[in-house]
Order: sequence, then structure tokens, then C-alpha cells
Amino acid sequence: MRVEHIINFRLNGKYVTVKCPPAYTLLEVLREQLQVTGPKEDCAKGECGACTVIMNGRPVCSCLVIISQANGSEIITSEGLTDDGKPNPVQKAFIDHGAVQCGHCIPGMIVSASALLMRNPKPTSEEIRMALSGNLCRCTGYTKIIAAVEDAAKNWGL
Amino acid sequence: MMRSEIDVLTPKTIDEALRLRRQHENAKIIAGGSDLIVQLRDGVVRTNQLLDISSLKELRFIREDQDRIQIGSLTTYNEIINSPIIRKRAWILAESARQIGAAQLQNTATIGGNLGNASPAADTIPPLYALDTTIITRSVAGRREIPIDQFYLGYRKIALLSDELIEQLYFKPLRPDDAGAYLKLGLRGANAISLVDVAVALRERNVNSFSTARVALGAVAPTVKRSLKCEKILQARPLDREIFREAGSVAAQDATPIDDIRASAEYRRNIVSSLVYQALCIAVFRE
Repeated sequence: MRVEHIINFRLNGKYVTVKCPPAYTLLEVLREQLQVTGPKEDCAKGECGACTVIMNGRPVCSCLVIISQANGSEIITSEGLTDDGKPNPVQKAFIDHGAVQCGHCIPGMIVSASALLMRNPKPTSEEIRMALSGNLCRCTGYTKIIAAVEDAAKNWGL
Repeated sequence: MMRSEIDVLTPKTIDEALRLRRQHENAKIIAGGSDLIVQLRDGVVRTNQLLDISSLKELRFIREDQDRIQIGSLTTYNEIINSPIIRKRAWILAESARQIGAAQLQNTATIGGNLGNASPAADTIPPLYALDTTIITRSVAGRREIPIDQFYLGYRKIALLSDELIEQLYFKPLRPDDAGAYLKLGLRGANAISLVDVAVALRERNVNSFSTARVALGAVAPTVKRSLKCEKILQARPLDREIFREAGSVAAQDATPIDDIRASAEYRRNIVSSLVYQALCIAVFRE
């Protein structure tokens, strides 16, 4: 028999309430119930980072969080990083550097990079690589991605 | 069982969690969820009920008390990696946590989950063996203290009773003149399951030797295991590369790996020998 719970959380700054099976993943609820499709499902086991969202200030794989665990939390997806519809410095740097090939991994990359800069606005190149080590790009476009994040760090908080 | 049919129990306190654990013995415990959610999706684990203990803040702590470091079972890898106590006095554990998954996983996955999931390739277990850890389990009836050697009974079999939760673990910290290292070989630098991992801890330094040695091997047997032969060779012997080479080859004899999709048994045995040698050189000579 289908079980449903009422779950409340803040999504990209707005309070949302959903009624859904409590063991569904946060990713499933975001994409299928709330139509927030920035986070992607690729591996569904925490290895690719395409589903990365910021939960209570830290990047997590939304495929490895059940929605019940998101109750009362603060979630930010790539959609929520813009400021009044304007791209944040990471999003802007990805555009400026053309750091996008097929684009599938990019929302996850941008969320991981933004989460890094929120905690550490002046990361070293090594820290950027570490922060993105859980995000795979199958087009292997890492060089431009790292360059974009390094550039974004210069404009972060300005 | 469809995932839409799974109920989730969400206790707010440890006492409530223990009561629910006793009432619902078939419920699967979920902490960080990084193993269990995948197992549920793949149908490897089937249940109609989850007991979600992830919000129990009481089980999220790292404390140094007299000559003991205590870690709550819901402490995340990220908290372990960034803990000054662990970095300074149990650095082999920090080193293993740093190499698990990547940032996303380190923010949710817990040390108690790693212990309870009981994978032979669980990366925090070798350093906890090397540190001679004691695990404290708890039920409504009280607590039990179980040495880590006795906690693992066989492939993914642990001594946890059906009404118990893993509450915390403790071990004696490493002293500045003790030696220790953790090394892992995976297929890439992040998000890689260990082909082999090794933890060594040498304590009670004499002029050119240590009185006690613990060497633990991961991913080469049905459980993480110590190499007792290797430990014996290292005890009270001079700190010498020749002896470390011998220790490596003896450790390989204690490994009983299998062939699987990640590596052959023969390759794993060779890697044990190299990693033990390298770990001892790093631990003692810091190179």
C-alpha cells in the first residue's frame, strides 16, 4: 500500500509542502513532483554528482537523500543560485569560458562550485579540484570548468 | 516492495529511537543513507519500514576525554576530516575519511553507517581496527561494549542485536611519537571503492622500535581483518626497510581476496604487500 507523508522544506528561498512517499529520494521529488529539473539523475548511486544540491549549506547528492530527511531543511538547486534572474559569478564564468559541452553535468558542477565559494571565497586550485572531484563530466571538459571556477572566485562577493 | 510503500519512522530523541527499534525489529536503520538508498533501489535490501536516525544530534559528536577519543555514530566524514582532535591524534582515521567518496558523500555519510553496513571494503574500518577501537551499542536494556575484532562475525554479519543501535565508538588516541598511516588503492582519486586499503598503527616507541603494532587490511577478506603475522614481525623489531618489506609479504599471506569486477585476487595480494610496505615507510619515516 502506498504510504505518503507531508514534507515541508525551503526550496530556493520559498517554503514548499509536498505530499509523497517518504522513502522517495529528494531528487525524485524535485524533478517529478516539483518540476525542478536542474539536478539530473545519472548514476543514482552518488558517484557522478549530476544531482548535487546544497542542503543546509553543504553540497549533497540528492539521489542519496530520502525526502523524509529533507523535512525542515533548506535546499538550493542551480535554479536558486541566480540573483533576481541574473546569473551568479559561477554561472556567468561558465558562460564566459564556454565551459559547457553537452551540458548535462553543468548544474551539478555549478552547485558544487558555488557551495565551495560560499564557504571558502578564496580557494586554491587544489581546493577547487577537490570540491569538484565528486562531479563527473563525460565530455571531459574539466580544464575550462576549473578555469571558470577560478575566475568566478575573483568575482565572488563583489 | 515498491519504494512508494515504504514507511519512514523519524524519532526525535535517542530514547524514542531505541523504543521504536525494539517495537519494529524488521525496520532497516537509515543514517546517511549512501549505501542503503542504493541497496533499496537495486532491490538488494527489501523492507516496508525505515527507522531514520539521521536527525539525532545526540549521536553526533567527537570528544577527547582523558585518554580516550569518543565518536558518536552519526558523525559525518566531513566532521571527522575537519576535527582538530582526529587530525592530530587519530590522523589515520582522518586520512581514510578524506578518501571516501567526495564532498557530497562526506557531508551525509556517517561513521556508524560505515560500521553497520559492514562492507569488507569499508574505508573507516581498517583504521578503526588499527586503533583498537571499542564499539558501544545501545538498546532500551542498556549498553554493550564490543571490541571491533568481535563486532564483525563474517561477510556483512555484525554482532549488533535486533533491538540495538550503534551509539558510539572509542579508542586510545595516538601520541605524537606513535606512528601510523592509511593507504588506499582505488581506480581513481575520488568516488572509488577500495581495491585494497591498509591501516597501520605502531605505539609505545623505544629507541628504534615499537612495542605494539596493529596492521589492518581492507577489501581482501570477507571482513576487514588484521594481519597478526605482520604485527608479530613488527613488534620490538628495528625500524628498518628490510623488515617492512618482510612485513608486507607476510601481510599478503594473511590476505584471502577474491577475483571480482575491480581486480583479480592475485593483483590484490601483490598490492597488499606494496601498500603495507609503503604505509610503514610513511608512518615511520614520513616519506
